[in-house]
Amino acid sequence: MYLNKDKIVSVSVQQNPLVCLFLMFLVFCSLSTHAKNNDAKHVLGDVTKIYMSSMTYIFKEQKLINQRGGNKSKLFGSEFIENIRVIYKSKYSEPFPLIDHKSKKVLLQSMVEVMEENRELISDEKLDFKGIIPATFAFQLSAKLSTKGVGLKIKFTRTQESIRNKLNNPDTWEVKVMKSIIKKPEVFYDNNALLNGKAAYRQFTPLPMVPHCLRCHGVPAQNPLNFGKNEEDWTDIDMTGFKMEGWTLDDFGGGVSISIEKSVIDSNRSYQ
Amino acid sequence: MHYLKCLKLIILLNLIISFQSQGEKLRVGLVEYPPHLNFNMKSEDTPLYEYVNRWLNNLNVKIEYVRLSTERGIKEIQNGKIDLLFPLDVEIDGVKNLQTPLFHSVPGLCFKREKFIPILSATHRFNNLLVGVPTGVKIVPALENSRALIVELKGNEAIRRGIDLTQRGRIDAFYHPYPLQVYHRENPKYQEVACSSFHGYLNPVHIAVSPKLSKYKVDSIESAYKKAMEDISYDYYFATRDKSKYIKTH
Repeated sequence: MYLNKDKIVSVSVQQNPLVCLFLMFLVFCSLSTHAKNNDAKHVLGDVTKIYMSSMTYIFKEQKLINQRGGNKSKLFGSEFIENIRVIYKSKYSEPFPLIDHKSKKVLLQSMVEVMEENRELISDEKLDFKGIIPATFAFQLSAKLSTKGVGLKIKFTRTQESIRNKLNNPDTWEVKVMKSIIKKPEVFYDNNALLNGKAAYRQFTPLPMVPHCLRCHGVPAQNPLNFGKNEEDWTDIDMTGFKMEGWTLDDFGGGVSISIEKSVIDSNRSYQ
Repeated sequence: MHYLKCLKLIILLNLIISFQSQGEKLRVGLVEYPPHLNFNMKSEDTPLYEYVNRWLNNLNVKIEYVRLSTERGIKEIQNGKIDLLFPLDVEIDGVKNLQTPLFHSVPGLCFKREKFIPILSATHRFNNLLVGVPTGVKIVPALENSRALIVELKGNEAIRRGIDLTQRGRIDAFYHPYPLQVYHRENPKYQEVACSSFHGYLNPVHIAVSPKLSKYKVDSIESAYKKAMEDISYDYYFATRDKSKYIKTH
C-alpha cells in the first residue's frame, strides 16, 4: 500500500485520541512561541526606532542646543517627547507606537531624565559647543536605562578597532553579528541569545552612514570648524575633540544593539 | 494581576498598622546634596525631601527630620540615633540601604569655561592637564589611565579650593564625584566653571537604614518606598517637577 504523509497522520489520529491531543498541544506550543517571538520583535523594533528617532532629533536641534540663550523648552519634558513623536512619524512613515510595554515607557521617561540632567549645560549662556550630540545622548540614555532594572539593554556601537568611546565596545555577540552583516547591512534578530547569562531576545539594527555623520567622521573638508578657512589652516580634529577618521558614505556606520531578557517581555505588558 | 496588587496592598496595610501600633516616631537625617537637597532652602522646597516625605507620610507615623553633615549623619545612623539617612553615595560599615537606589550620581570634571572639554571620553585631551582631586576621592579609570597630572586637594574645603584654583588658572580642572552639586543655577558662586560628566560611571545614591531599626519597620518602609518608586521614580519626579516651586529663600 502507498500512503502519503497526510493519510498517515489521519489514520494515526483516528486510531488514538491521545495522539490528537498531543498534536494539538504541539500546535498550541508552537503558536505560543511564535506569538512571543513576534511580541518581542515588535517591542525591540519599537524601542530601536524610538531610540533612533531621539538621536535624529538631537542632531536636528544642534543649533538650539549650542546657541547661547533663547527658549530651549522643546528640549525638555513632554515637549521633548512630543518632538520625538513627530520625528518618528516622518522618519518611518508610520504612527508612533503604543506605549504598551514597560520598556517603552521607561525609555521615554529616561530620555526626559537625561535631558534634565543636561539642563545646566544646555542652558549655559557662556558656552557654545555643549557636547550633546546624537552619540553622547544615546550613550547617556543607555547608561540611564541600565539603572532601571527592566532587563533592557541598548547600545550604539560599531566595530571595536574604530570605536571612539571604549565603554561602547561591542560584546562577543555584537562582534559576531557585525562581522556577518558588515558587507550587506541588514537588521539581525536573534530569539535565542543570552544577556548576562539569561535567555534574551537581541537585535542589531545597522545605521547607514549619512552626510551629517561625516562632519565629525569624514575628512577635514567636511569639518564645520574648517568652513571659511584656508586649506593650510584646516584641522583634522572635529568639534568633539576626536581625530576625524576619513570615512565615506560607503563605510559601515555601526548600529543600535538592543537586548531584552525573555522573562521581562511578558511581565511588563499593558502600559499606557 | 489584580489579586497580586490586592495582596501587596494588604501586606503594606498590615505593615503600616503594625508600625503605628508601636507608637514611635521616625527620626530621619538629611544630608546636603544639591540640587536634590539644598540646605540654602527650606527642606520642604527641595525635590528630594518632597519626594521621600510624601511616601514616608503614608506610614502614618510622626516623622522628625534633622539636617546633618555627612560625617555626623554616618555616626548617628551607626549608633541608631536616627532611623534613616539620605541621600548617601557611600557605603557605611554595618549599615544597610533600602534596596533600590534613589538615583545615580555621575562623576565629572569642572573647567574654567575657556578650557571646557565637553566630551570626557576624549581622554587624549587630558594630556598634561592639571586636575585637582579631593583627598581620598577615588577617580574613574578613564581619568586614572589618562596622561592627566593629578594634584591632591587637601582639607575639608577641597571642592571650594578646587573651584577657586580653577578660576584662577592654577589648575585646569577639578574632579567632582557629582559635578551637578556645584554646576547648577542656584549656585551663583560657581558660575565661572562649567562641568561635564564621565558618562557610564554611575554611583548609586541610597537611603541608609539604621541597624537598630526592627525588621518589621524596615519592611514597612521598604514596601512604601517600593510602591512610591513604582508609581514614579525619583529620577522622573525630579525631571518633571514644577520648577517654579523651588525658589531660594535667600
